[in-house]
Amino acid sequence: MMRDATDQIQPETRPGIATAEGGLVFLDGPDGVAATMTPEAAAETGQSLIDAAATAERQQAERDV
Amino acid sequence: MFTERFLRDKRGASLDANERARIEAAISEVKTFGPRKIIARAGEPLTNSTLLLEGIMSRYLDDRNGLRQLVAIHFPGDFLDLHAFPLKVLDHDVATLTTATVATVPHAEIEAIAEEMPQLIRKLWFATLLDAAIHRAWLFRLGRLDATGRVAHFLCETNARLFSAGLSDGRRFALALTQADLAEICGLTTVHVNRVMRQLREEQLCLFRSSLVEILDPAGLAARAQFNPAYLYIADDSQLPSVQRPR
Repeated sequence: MMRDATDQIQPETRPGIATAEGGLVFLDGPDGVAATMTPEAAAETGQSLIDAAATAERQQAERDV
Repeated sequence: MFTERFLRDKRGASLDANERARIEAAISEVKTFGPRKIIARAGEPLTNSTLLLEGIMSRYLDDRNGLRQLVAIHFPGDFLDLHAFPLKVLDHDVATLTTATVATVPHAEIEAIAEEMPQLIRKLWFATLLDAAIHRAWLFRLGRLDATGRVAHFLCETNARLFSAGLSDGRRFALALTQADLAEICGLTTVHVNRVMRQLREEQLCLFRSSLVEILDPAGLAARAQFNPAYLYIADDSQLPSVQRPR
């Protein structure tokens, strides 16, 4: 049976796993995510994720008021 | 015989002697190409289709930076651009990955087969639908699986396809692809593929060295890949590892 469409659009609750090897950063998961980055690109991506997460948390708090 | 691997061991679509003889008679030329040669370019009018006899070929698209995504891999027995018969032009390039020997079948001959042997045309149609089923599996692989899962899925699929063609014993097969090829198949970097291959080896799931693949733990590799060979329509796939997806 096909799943309910709303199941398909839930945000990912499991984090991706980043590891370093040979001077590069590997991001594996969640699901279809698989990327190799230079340390600089990984750091910039990480900071961008942290900033976006903080913004999203503020948005949730404002919505819950 | 040129057609011995075509639709070999496929459920309800294997060729009988007359059908095989008709395709053999339709072959106009047999040619061998060196590795990494483009044999058909996107947009060029085509008047022939190509049955791969030996070697490995690919279909691919390049992005604007010249980075390549392989969208299909073909093994001996694949009629790899049969869809060019109705379409007349391809929307992608076709190239050899290894030295490859191909049999050329003019579209005029396929037209004649359609008149003479409609049941054989249905089997050629089956072959193109099988290609479409494999494309769906490749979409699943790239959309839902992580790096290890993608490589594991490709290796499980290749094992099953080669098993069907009589080129794998179900666990061991020759695969003359580079890690760069695997990267372009799985949407990964070459270093990521290298790391995944090491993980598969350390987890005692699979070995890939000197162009030979040995699946050490078929059930474990299939589980890692979420692989179920049903989409390959192999007549007897009971020897192949499989997982059940949730319904």
